[in-house]
Amino acid sequence: MFDSPAADPALPNRFAPVRAAAPLVRFFARRIGLSVLTLLGLVTLAFAMTKFIPGDEAQVAAGPDAGPDQVEAMRARLGLDAPAIVQYLRFIWRLLHGDLGTSIVTYQPVLRDLERVLPSTLELVAITMVLNLVIAIPVATIAAAQGGRGLDALTRIAAAIAAGLPVFWVALMLQFLLGTLARVLPISGQRGFGVTVPNWTGMRTLDALLSGNPSAFLDASLYLVLPAATLALHFSSQLFRALRASLELAAASDFIAPVKAKGASTARILWRHALPNALPPVITLAGTQIADMLGAAVLVEAVFARQGVGAYLANAVAQKDTFAVIGTVLFVGAMVCVVNLLVDAILLATDPRLRAAELARGGRQ
Amino acid sequence: MMARPHLSLGDATVFVLVALILAAAVFGNLLAPEATFSSDIGNAFLPPDAQHWLGTDSQGRDVLWRVIAGAAPSLLSSMLVVTIYSLIGVVVATLATVVPRWLDEGLMRGTEIGLALPGVIVAMGFASAMGPSLASAVIAMSITGWPITARLLRSITRQTMVAPYVQGAQVMGVSRFRLMTRHVLPNSLDVLIIKWSGDVSITILVLGGLSFVGVGAQPPSAEWGAMISDARSYVSTAWWTAAAPGAAIALTAVSFSLLGDILQRRLGGAGASGGARS
Repeated sequence: MFDSPAADPALPNRFAPVRAAAPLVRFFARRIGLSVLTLLGLVTLAFAMTKFIPGDEAQVAAGPDAGPDQVEAMRARLGLDAPAIVQYLRFIWRLLHGDLGTSIVTYQPVLRDLERVLPSTLELVAITMVLNLVIAIPVATIAAAQGGRGLDALTRIAAAIAAGLPVFWVALMLQFLLGTLARVLPISGQRGFGVTVPNWTGMRTLDALLSGNPSAFLDASLYLVLPAATLALHFSSQLFRALRASLELAAASDFIAPVKAKGASTARILWRHALPNALPPVITLAGTQIADMLGAAVLVEAVFARQGVGAYLANAVAQKDTFAVIGTVLFVGAMVCVVNLLVDAILLATDPRLRAAELARGGRQ
Repeated sequence: MMARPHLSLGDATVFVLVALILAAAVFGNLLAPEATFSSDIGNAFLPPDAQHWLGTDSQGRDVLWRVIAGAAPSLLSSMLVVTIYSLIGVVVATLATVVPRWLDEGLMRGTEIGLALPGVIVAMGFASAMGPSLASAVIAMSITGWPITARLLRSITRQTMVAPYVQGAQVMGVSRFRLMTRHVLPNSLDVLIIKWSGDVSITILVLGGLSFVGVGAQPPSAEWGAMISDARSYVSTAWWTAAAPGAAIALTAVSFSLLGDILQRRLGGAGASGGARS
């Protein structure tokens, strides 16, 4: 340390920006390395799945209607007579070329099918995440202000119950109560009869906005209400519980006492001082929730007949389209890897304490 | 952590609920009348009344009895799943503690990879590949569920290994294996029990979901997710066929989650709250 020129205050520190950035570069190099390992683990799991298939793998890949010739062609394509390690390497090779297999239902490459249904799921998950944060953060903070009484006790019980409700069942019940009985919301699908918007992004609400069509936007939004509300109920109750606990810790920490002594109101203490300190672990949780949201979207999309990745997966499962299932698992897993990377970047950018910790860690190594 | 808190009314309610659900899971199949499992189309879709408290389903079977009989495949399988993956977690954490440092690093990297994957989706892939059945779902969830437990336990054993009593035992020449099994692991038992209870709550929701999309228990089974899947097409005309098994899942999930909270308070285990992932 002492022989470093930067340590000498007399010398102009030309390398300071590079030095400051180096630990961050190292952080992301490490983080991306972990993502690559995760992807490799995912691919290995997917390969293991193909080996879990009972009976003839080539027959399953070719579909139940395939003749002997087609099954033999599939066997040659998958290289099933080669040793397992060669099969594994070829499996990775095909994936690197964007080959996630072919659906025996749509006769399309699985990747092309997924590209078609992805926007709908992204739309649903994005709206759910917004609702999730918009509900959980204010409710938890307001509840914390009551300190165990009234609304606080009530929301705690409500969140405990909401977290225990199966999402697919809530979806069915909301569909029945609000769609079938009350007839206030559409029960399934994602657009009204005769409503058309250009297919630019594939997300109907966004396409409607971009093409300046308010009635189509309203239509697409109405179809999103039930699926998004179902998912948001589950995830915001989780987030609420985490934030409520985190707020309790923050409110009890030492830096709150002087603020209180200065005569700040309870509301000010909570919103300005406790909340910013309680948020980072909650953002981490919200990030991990995205993976779970994709899992839950499978169930919810199936109930509401939305044309998303989840419905595609549920359909593939029902049709015993095993290679489409495995392709979708790979696809969603890869998406989750990217999301995790983004969440880490956001945390690093927003939490100075974390940044300092990473810098210190990078400097040590 | 001085005297244990007295049994409050709320805690007692939770204990009674858990006991009742467990009783249904163990004895439900023995008590249920024959008609619970055989169809009687003439009596299909009867709304709830004095004779059929929760009505009848598409096959004319009594919904209440089916919900009771469904406790076994729903709850016992979930308990089995959590028990299996907790054991895998214990093995991984134990190995990581006793093996050389580089292998510990490797094991924990593997655990991190497992954590970064969408568990429910991967389980769905495995169950679908193995051929949909309750056993497939149980196996699939067991092999995808362990990473959180492994990481939690490893972080505890890391702390315990430097505790004075463990270092004392080390100085006395106790082998690493014996140290682990007799001195370190028993210390994390509380945390494991608390986590087990909370995880059963989450697992029962996931298992129901897998059965609902068709990779878990299959139709004649009274497993709650399969019952809801079966009732799906009739919700608009016979809502009770879907409402009852869903309420059963919810009641069980909430009871076990609250049981976990109570155990946490009573056993005073710290750091077991990291498992809130479904």
